[in-house]
Amino acid sequence: MELMMNRKKLIYSFLLWLAFSGAAWSETEYTIRADGIVCPFCAYSVEKQFRKIDGVQAVEVDLEKGEVFVTTSDEVVFTDEQLSDLFADAGFTYRSIENQVVKRADD
Amino acid sequence: MQITHKSIGWIFLVIALLLGEQARVEAAPITFNTALPVGKGEFVWREKFFRRMREDETAFPDRQVEINGITTAIGYGVTSNWALFGVLPLLDKQLEVSTSAGRIQRQTRGIGDLQLFARYTILKNDTPGKTFRLAPLFGVVIPTGKDDDADAFGRLPRTLQTGTGAWGGFAGLIATYSTVSYQLDTQLVYLDQGSDEGFEAGAVSRLDLSFQYRLRPGKIDRDTKGFLYGVLESNLVKTERDQINQQAVADTGGTQWFLSPGLQYVSRRWVWEFAIQLPVSQNMNGNAIRDDYILHAGFRRNF
Repeated sequence: MELMMNRKKLIYSFLLWLAFSGAAWSETEYTIRADGIVCPFCAYSVEKQFRKIDGVQAVEVDLEKGEVFVTTSDEVVFTDEQLSDLFADAGFTYRSIENQVVKRADD
Repeated sequence: MQITHKSIGWIFLVIALLLGEQARVEAAPITFNTALPVGKGEFVWREKFFRRMREDETAFPDRQVEINGITTAIGYGVTSNWALFGVLPLLDKQLEVSTSAGRIQRQTRGIGDLQLFARYTILKNDTPGKTFRLAPLFGVVIPTGKDDDADAFGRLPRTLQTGTGAWGGFAGLIATYSTVSYQLDTQLVYLDQGSDEGFEAGAVSRLDLSFQYRLRPGKIDRDTKGFLYGVLESNLVKTERDQINQQAVADTGGTQWFLSPGLQYVSRRWVWEFAIQLPVSQNMNGNAIRDDYILHAGFRRNF
């Protein structure tokens, strides 16, 4: 009887861990349009600004299209004002957040 | 005095190394400045080696001057529009000349004059993958170099000293148009070299143009890590005659036009660059010394 109870506890614990760890793996990818970024070093400068923000996991830049792809953990939410200041400080011009895709571990 | 010069040089170098941790660099002309931004609170660090060979333009050249130097430049973005720069050269100058005592060699080395200047972006037009910037600049030349060095033959000629001994000033305008495929920069600058003990080095006016074209890769995407640029620069330099006690020195100054082909590799953290400045035309005053070539090789690092 006691053995059965322990097994149940173990199974519940495992399911609980799965549920929470699934949530921890979720992330958001923002596609941000910004103008004036013309070379890898400009791109790196923008990346450095984003890296200062807790929860930012990856930054990639498509120079040709003027798009910055920022992958963050769930709790990061950007505002237009914040992004406008961030790009202005780096010397470039923020335009818009084009879209946002939420990715989860079970997607 | 010697200790002071060395101290300034070491302090500058240490600051450069410390600030290099936050350095940021980008595609830019090799022989002059760009109007591209220095981010707010960010530093730019650049090191450049140069070698300048000069001699008389006569059938049997008499004077030969060889200048080797390393230039350390640091820029700081006060705001995204205001940037401050400091430029300090470390120089080794040699002169070979015929005298009544035969062929002699004279030499000096040490830090040169420190340039401090500010640049303000007055116009910025950004579009996707393109930007246009217009930025005036103005600055001072601080006489940190030696102007009284001497050897066994006496005090070295003023033009061989590592410094002018005088406070100078300069002002100019830079324009940059940059796309992901190519970049155009142009600069117009006037430099007044000031006067010291009755000697005034000739004022310099220059018009520079740089074209940088991305050779590799042909296509870029999110994974592109570096650009290889082919570079061609033009430098038109007009130098007024030197003056001693307000009298123009005949065999000094003139107008020179250089073309400078080069290569520049820009990766995420490093820029490697090389250019050679070749004189296309040199209309010098009298027997003023001419340039054979000026070689530029350097790097910038983004830590």
